[in-house]
Amino acid sequence: MIRRFYTVFEDLALIGGPRLNLLSTAFGILALIGMLVTPWMALVGAGVEQQMGIVQKIMYYHVPSAFMMYLGFFVCFVFSILYLWKRNKQYDIWASSSAEVGLLFCVLVLLSGPLWAKPIWNAWWVWDPQLTLVFVLFLIFVAYAMLKSYSEESIQSAKFRAVLGIIGFLDAPLIHYSVKLWRTHHPAVVRGDSSGLPPDMETALLACTLTWLALFCTILFRRVSVEMARDELDYLKAEIRDRKAILGQMAT
Amino acid sequence: MSLFFRQTTAIMKKDLRIEYRSKERLSGMVFFAALVLLIFSFALTPGSSAMVNGAGGIFWVTVVFAGFLGLTRSFTQEQHNDCLMGLLLAPADRGAIYLGKTLGNFITMVVLEIFLLPMFAILLNVAVLSPLPSLIPVMLLGTLGFASVGTLFSAMSMNTRLKEAMLPLLTLPVLVPLILASVQSFSALLSGNSLSTVSDWLRTSAAFCGIFFVACLILFDYVVEES
Repeated sequence: MIRRFYTVFEDLALIGGPRLNLLSTAFGILALIGMLVTPWMALVGAGVEQQMGIVQKIMYYHVPSAFMMYLGFFVCFVFSILYLWKRNKQYDIWASSSAEVGLLFCVLVLLSGPLWAKPIWNAWWVWDPQLTLVFVLFLIFVAYAMLKSYSEESIQSAKFRAVLGIIGFLDAPLIHYSVKLWRTHHPAVVRGDSSGLPPDMETALLACTLTWLALFCTILFRRVSVEMARDELDYLKAEIRDRKAILGQMAT
Repeated sequence: MSLFFRQTTAIMKKDLRIEYRSKERLSGMVFFAALVLLIFSFALTPGSSAMVNGAGGIFWVTVVFAGFLGLTRSFTQEQHNDCLMGLLLAPADRGAIYLGKTLGNFITMVVLEIFLLPMFAILLNVAVLSPLPSLIPVMLLGTLGFASVGTLFSAMSMNTRLKEAMLPLLTLPVLVPLILASVQSFSALLSGNSLSTVSDWLRTSAAFCGIFFVACLILFDYVVEES
């Protein structure tokens, strides 16, 4: 079971740069179509929520962003474990790229949340478990990004990143539990089969989630292929340097 | 006694002996803690209700920041004369190195807290003597969790360009659940509640210690090995 689970990720990391670029474009087209259709579904198709009114519409982009954030951090977690286990550079590229994409969606969550919270809770920010968890995850993965940019590009720094990726993800349930003990405000989060949403809203939310998933794949695949190209470029530069050195020795 | 524990205690004793002879980490930490307490007593009137409510927070802020001061030295002192290389070359389990270092840091911080509590009681005028028996388990759990995550990250931050400055940036976000649990239980205990009222918080701290102690023990191997 676990083996089947991680081989999916291993297979993903086997895809080469050019094919990833192609996949990225394909998902990009899907995301574009989704973005043209979902505003209609969310704003017109789905009913207006009775108590919150029009403000509730932000949920259609806020919630999928949160899903994609968790997805990004989860993919980072899995590839971090794979990297420490198998020592393949591809896994590090995938882990750090998905952490970056997760961070991007995390920022979207943090920006869209207060827009909704201000009219509903009458405050931009409250210290609720859901909010605090996202905020702390944001801090952890900003530290991840800093760790990446403040250390020399080496195998050791890749290992440090992987360690932080694993620890950061392991921390999430604990943060959530501890802040829940502390206080709670957030509306019930969609879990399992019964989301508590009427069917029209549910359809719109599902469509938005799929669109965001396509966007997630677009950005992630493009990011990974760029990193792969950079890696190859470094390799080629080193090779040219070596050859020049050999030619220089032969000339003298 | 098995080999692993002999190795662990050897490393722990080495760290504690260095500390006992030089006293440079501990003196710095205690002095720093006193300064932090001084600033807090300027900010809040000693003995006021705001002070009593915030006392848990003040205590842990002081412990955490003074703790960072000690943790950064934990691995930088090994860099002189390539001591870390020597440790890694020794036929000892990497886990024993981590465990020894963590316990050394843990004990150093407990000593810091022993100095800190009376200062805390005197300078901020908070009654710590009567809730002391119930404060001790909270303090030990909080310190253990801090030491186990901090030791791993101090080994990491030493090898980044920012060096020690990176340590709090990496460690503090991860420590959120632990610090929250410790602060909340401290505040509750200091305002006269019994230990059973904070059992949920104690469970959180214990879960944090359990999960991260094991995770850091496993991951330490990857952090120190030469690539």
